[in-house]
Amino acid sequence: MRSLRREPALLLALLAVIALVLVFIVYPQVQVVVAPGSGGYASFLEGGTWVTPFVHSLEVMALSTTSAVLLGFVYAYAMVYSDMRWKPFFRLIGILPLLSPPFVVAASYILLFGPRGIITYGVFGQTPIIFGLLGIWGVQTIAFFPFAYQLIADALSRSDARMEQAARNLGAGPWRVFRTVTLPLSRPGLGAAILTTAIYIVEDFGNPQLIGGQFTVLPTQAYNLISGFGEFTSAAAVSTLLLLIALALYLAKIRLDGGRSFVTISGRASSMPRPPVPAVLSWACFSGSLVLAGVILMVYGTLLVSALTVLFPINLAPTARHFTFVVTGSNGDALRNTLVFSSVAALVSAIFALFAGWLVQRGDWPGRRVLDFLLILPAAIPGIFFGIGYLTAFNQPWLDWVDRGALIILSMVFWNIPVGYQAAVAGLRQIDRSIDEAATSLGASRLRGFWDVVRPLLGGSLRVGFVTTFVRAVTTLSVVIFLFTPATTVATIRIYQLVNDLNWGGATAFTVADISMAIAALVIFAALARGRLALGMARG
Amino acid sequence: MHLRVSHITKRFGSAAAVDDVSFDVPKGSFATLLGPSGCGKTTTLRMIAGFYEPDAGDIEIGGRRVNDLPAHRRGTAMVFQDYALFPHMTVYDNVAYGLRVAGRPRPERDKRVNDTLTFVGLGGMGGRWPNQLSGGQQQRVAVARALVIEPQVLLLDEPLSNLDAKLREQLRVELRILQRRLGMTFVYVTHDQDEALSLSDWIAVMNAGKVEQAGTPWEIYYHPRTAFLADFVGAVNLVPARVESVGDGSVTVSFGPHRASVRRPVDVSLSTGQEVRLCMRPESFTIAPAGASANGLALSGTIARRAFLGDTMRYWVKVDDREWIVDQPDPGATETLDGAVLLSLRPERVHVIAES
Repeated sequence: MRSLRREPALLLALLAVIALVLVFIVYPQVQVVVAPGSGGYASFLEGGTWVTPFVHSLEVMALSTTSAVLLGFVYAYAMVYSDMRWKPFFRLIGILPLLSPPFVVAASYILLFGPRGIITYGVFGQTPIIFGLLGIWGVQTIAFFPFAYQLIADALSRSDARMEQAARNLGAGPWRVFRTVTLPLSRPGLGAAILTTAIYIVEDFGNPQLIGGQFTVLPTQAYNLISGFGEFTSAAAVSTLLLLIALALYLAKIRLDGGRSFVTISGRASSMPRPPVPAVLSWACFSGSLVLAGVILMVYGTLLVSALTVLFPINLAPTARHFTFVVTGSNGDALRNTLVFSSVAALVSAIFALFAGWLVQRGDWPGRRVLDFLLILPAAIPGIFFGIGYLTAFNQPWLDWVDRGALIILSMVFWNIPVGYQAAVAGLRQIDRSIDEAATSLGASRLRGFWDVVRPLLGGSLRVGFVTTFVRAVTTLSVVIFLFTPATTVATIRIYQLVNDLNWGGATAFTVADISMAIAALVIFAALARGRLALGMARG
Repeated sequence: MHLRVSHITKRFGSAAAVDDVSFDVPKGSFATLLGPSGCGKTTTLRMIAGFYEPDAGDIEIGGRRVNDLPAHRRGTAMVFQDYALFPHMTVYDNVAYGLRVAGRPRPERDKRVNDTLTFVGLGGMGGRWPNQLSGGQQQRVAVARALVIEPQVLLLDEPLSNLDAKLREQLRVELRILQRRLGMTFVYVTHDQDEALSLSDWIAVMNAGKVEQAGTPWEIYYHPRTAFLADFVGAVNLVPARVESVGDGSVTVSFGPHRASVRRPVDVSLSTGQEVRLCMRPESFTIAPAGASANGLALSGTIARRAFLGDTMRYWVKVDDREWIVDQPDPGATETLDGAVLLSLRPERVHVIAES
């Protein structure tokens, strides 16, 4: 602390960061939590309207997480352990869903399996009711197993191949090695992966909203209370309930993450190959991955075909009219808004997170652990809750002069802070403290040292933060659904509206345009980094 | 005094890493903090640099208290163990960094950087990147980068420990010559007693957060005040003994059946009957086959083990149930000994430590 007092500029910068975090992360959330008041909570709890969506949410979470994790595990195991062919192809397919708004899976699902779906009706002549629990379960399983796969693959690949080689060398077979070495070592990582998947699923707003029908879960309940009935108090209470679930899962995940350190004892990943698995297992992995990749391709292929045909699936004549529709008039504005808002938000978020990460990681002032927690907190906050927070806190008459676009950008900046922050902290761990100190001992103030020395070395973290934030901003629906105005509509909002209007051609063309933006960002990033894609997670 | 450290203390949690340490370093001298890892030497150095805040005590440089100055205003450039070169800057830019921060004009900067690079033997290498240099070259860049800003005190934190033995010795010599020529004040931290002995004008040996003893390398090596010190700065025979009588400049001690009159250490009070330890360096002995004539103190024993170290032959000799370490220089010049031997030692080579 004394060292801060000797450098007023640094102290000022720190106070500014703390002020921004308090205003844009803490304040809006507190507003939502306290909005109902004790009386509000009492009558809300007594009213009992929360019980059904609460139970539904837990039901959906349990079912979808289980199935998504099982499928994700198969894919991850195949990618990390087997010697199957086509791995680059499978890797590419596995990334695709991360670059799209998760709720478009629901749209595709309706096109494929709905009452007029090409498979249900077209192939089998059935008109099943797919809305409700089964629909949500199916859609979320498909939408989120790629996320589970990324998380699980990450956890599995952290286990040191040398230990597996050692176990094989001591006479254990492949299955025994997996059971007695790999699994115990990756258990905390796997647990964290499962919990993170569960958070994505319980927070998911778009899929249940599109396919849930009468089956409401907490996020859709909160949305409907506000948009349908203007019942703000109950909505705040419902979303607080949702926040509690997400927060509990997140805190459990942090605990597990903490216990993960022993996996990475060896420091850098070793280049030693994993011991081979039997050929038959590789073949099983290959078939499993092929089926799963096929499902992903079918989901996104349907969207693409629908975007390029007159009236999918009835009239399959090729046309560009949906894309013309997408780029003209207010739709074009929405696309441009998406690009501008997301770019600005990603840039601001990544830079702010980098600086905050440096302040926390390299600082020696008291309270830095609190700031550290607040900076990763948004990762636990459901998008719908975050949106309601900004709606409550900043939708005030005296703030009317603030442009709504700015508000959307700010919400994207601060909801995504954990992404850039964690990238920055990971990057800083690779840079020895003595590098900062060298600059200081040569006469540079700490801020100057940050600018001259640390910042240029963290280019990689900055790029990861930027791209991941951009992708998440481009694909989010729940955060912006309460903040947009006709002039500040973004692509995900339009997709959502068009699906509700049953304008499938327009909706799917919009989706393709939206995903293209995310893909373009990632391709540029890959070209710049030429390294391994360290993509974080996007969610709806 | 150019650098004065008075009563500084630093705690991490409840443990004191540095506990009431004081010392003075005159201008232009080479001072070394020597000690095992965890003794507080690096913490002390980092407090001088301004990277740690002392919990108590003062640090003065050039007569000015610097406690309240941030690290970048102290005029204490530091050379780090891992060099800490800026990987995204060329050698030239690394060395020019401090001058650029100070806002020195370009022509002056160019001249000083090039002069310094030549000075450390890296003339013409300014365009290279750090990762294109060998470890020794990187360390020279690190030194040049710190020297070029002409700091009041140059701090060096184990700068040679990442180099291989041969290069370490070479750079050690260069560093000493450099310091003499510049007349700059160096504070050097190391755990390697050879480095400390060969480089320094003055050494402070630290242990458990305290300075055990400070003095010239000679004093530290031959007249250690504690058993820890004697053992830390080289191989030693530490033999429990008893004071029989205290004379004017000498003291008579007995150990086992032996009795000797040895030099009385200054600044230490000894009384008759006191339990002490005798400190005898292995190279102070003469070893000869049993039956040879002794010169001074004579001990008969048998060789238990030996190790050929190249420049010396080290013997472990059993005398009265106790193993003594004895070094014989230039082993090629004599026959390798075995069996019963006679050790002899001149009494003035025995140092008394008032600690049992």
